[in-house]
Amino acid sequence: MTKRYFSLLLIVLISLRLSAQVWVVPAENESRKSPFTFDDASRKAGSEIYNTSCKSCHGEPGKNNAIPLVPPPPDFASVKMQSNSDGALQFKITAGRGPMPSFKNTLSATDVWRVISYARSFNDKYVQEVGKSSAAGGASVQNVRILISWLKDKNQIQASLSALKDKVNQPVAGAEVKLFAKRYFGNLLIDEARTTDAFGNVFFNFPMDLPGDSAGHVQLIARLTNEAVFGEAKADSVLTIGVPTYRPPLNEQRAMWNVVSKTPIWLLLAYTIAVLGAWGFIIYVFLQIRAIFLAGSNKDPDSL
Amino acid sequence: MASEVNTGFLNDKKLDSIAADILRPVGITQGFIIWMGFLGISLLACIYAYYIQWDKGLIVTGLRDYTSWGMYIANFVFFVATSLVGMLISSVLGLIGFKWVKPIARIAEIIAVAFAAIAGLVIVSDMGRPERLPYVFLYGRIQSPIIWDVTVVTTYLVISALLYFLPMIPDLAISKGRMGHTPKWLQKTYEILSVNWIHTPQQYKILLKAVRIMLILIIPTAFVIHTVTSWLFAVTLRPGWDSSIFGPYFLTGAFVAGSAAVVIMMYFVRTNYKLDKYLTLHHFDMMGKLLVLVSIVYLYFNINEYLVPGFKLKTAEAIHLNELFVGDYAVMFWSVQLLGLIIPIILLLFKFFRKPLSMLFISIVVLIAAWFKRFIIVVPTQDHPFLPKQHVPDAWMVYHPTIVESAITLGTIILAVIIITILVKFFPVIPIWEMAEEQHETDNKIKE
Repeated sequence: MTKRYFSLLLIVLISLRLSAQVWVVPAENESRKSPFTFDDASRKAGSEIYNTSCKSCHGEPGKNNAIPLVPPPPDFASVKMQSNSDGALQFKITAGRGPMPSFKNTLSATDVWRVISYARSFNDKYVQEVGKSSAAGGASVQNVRILISWLKDKNQIQASLSALKDKVNQPVAGAEVKLFAKRYFGNLLIDEARTTDAFGNVFFNFPMDLPGDSAGHVQLIARLTNEAVFGEAKADSVLTIGVPTYRPPLNEQRAMWNVVSKTPIWLLLAYTIAVLGAWGFIIYVFLQIRAIFLAGSNKDPDSL
Repeated sequence: MASEVNTGFLNDKKLDSIAADILRPVGITQGFIIWMGFLGISLLACIYAYYIQWDKGLIVTGLRDYTSWGMYIANFVFFVATSLVGMLISSVLGLIGFKWVKPIARIAEIIAVAFAAIAGLVIVSDMGRPERLPYVFLYGRIQSPIIWDVTVVTTYLVISALLYFLPMIPDLAISKGRMGHTPKWLQKTYEILSVNWIHTPQQYKILLKAVRIMLILIIPTAFVIHTVTSWLFAVTLRPGWDSSIFGPYFLTGAFVAGSAAVVIMMYFVRTNYKLDKYLTLHHFDMMGKLLVLVSIVYLYFNINEYLVPGFKLKTAEAIHLNELFVGDYAVMFWSVQLLGLIIPIILLLFKFFRKPLSMLFISIVVLIAAWFKRFIIVVPTQDHPFLPKQHVPDAWMVYHPTIVESAITLGTIILAVIIITILVKFFPVIPIWEMAEEQHETDNKIKE
């Protein structure tokens, strides 16, 4: 009997443990703070990011219309969401867990803070604590330009970084750069993070088999990882370096669920033959009624 | 005029007496006027109900987003089902060579024509925007079973009408000269509809061939009409509809409803028109046996349809079946199974109950149960949608038919009875020439 109670207790404890899985945030992330002060501009930018990247699961803030997943995506206006520190939110958005995707590659660190800025607009009691780096006046190197080019013979992507310093364009050396290819659901890291040489150049090995669109276009994004120093420096360019891939639209083929002009052939034949067959006989019988009428018009049956 | 009619190979004396019997009730009588007046006034009330729906839309019904197929669609399935008996009696039994179906065949065809015609109208009653009906033909996709259904209901109606009309042509010619007691316009109608019929062997030959073609064609058409009607449900994934035996399940159920309707009509024709000589005890006995046969086949399909999913009890199916067996629909479900199927089978196994009056009562119960059976098939499934049901308005939760929608449904039934009354009252209800003909003589005449 005692054994049974013990196992029951164990089951209860395990299920409690499972249902209350805590999302542990490392202490250093927990206390992290936004490098800039949340304002209308950051909230507006955050709401735009929210609408494209978050809303499909989390729903409209304050309306409790998130999609039913396990664990459930919390409403942005909810206590559950707002009780997180800014640092915890930043960690969770960046890292992801289970059905919550990681936005590490998709959103820049600044963009993540913008989303948090938008989230906090649903909390009247929130008072922002700004991080130290912002006190220094933001990025120390500004207006970094990144040029992306393809070295066809080596099959490498070259990114050249330069910035205006003392009114002269100078290469940016020793900066860590990541290269991404844009995919349907987020950005795909190409090669690995690399640091620029003395000439401000960085080279990434590009895979031979990356699918592009029907013309082989691939959208590449190069981004500096240290936003505290360089700001949100980013380059976007489309190069014809992917494998041309034609993805037929779902409504291209004949199908049961397609429009009437794309009826499956077998169905078109079966329907037409059945209808024409049945109505052919019906019309024939109508003609027979006419034949009866004509046969009766001749009053002398013997001549028939 | 009678002397002009060439009835050479029909036994004249026999023909005269049969024609006199069958044509006696034809025409406008006091009883007919009272009955039609009653039906007409009732129909007016139902038309007013439809006016309300036309004016305000389907909001006056109990239909909402989740239960969007209610009483109307159940009624539609019932009408299509009942109309199938025309095929069973005239074609299947007739072509096999059962002679006893001869006097009943036209009754079965009248039911087929009336119910198939109204079935189309019933669908319109389910439309919130009936003025958009032409869009079905203009923009319909032939991938949709709804278009197959529209096509085949129309085809079936035309074939049934032809099967009603064609064998009546000689009767109309025979009747022409014997209609002194009827209004002039009716005599004129007979004149036109009898398409110059003068009983020549050639005409008989053409007629028999045409009838035979239609008798064969109506079999696949009838199978298609009710199978497609069942597919309107079975092509979905909903519990209670997601079944591979829905086609034969509907088809056999149709024969039960249709046979009961034929028995009811036989009884009233026999007693009101005093046609005991033609609709004999033997005919009731045979119809009783037929009703038992089709009911047993239908019972077999019912057992398959409920026992197999009931054994597995998949999550969604379990909720649905629980609702039917012991839940909100339990009373309706078990009443339909017991009163509409099991008890009639047991009773009709005994010759004692295969008498006109007892069969009338049994058939009325079977027919009412058949209507509720369609309700059981159509409605409960939608009470448990796959979509979340937590935050929807209360009215969406459970379907309750309103008075307006019940009145409109009743109106369609009244309309079918009006069509039947008119056909029965203005045209010979039993085939005169087929009753009178000496089979071998007809055959010989055609061979000449």
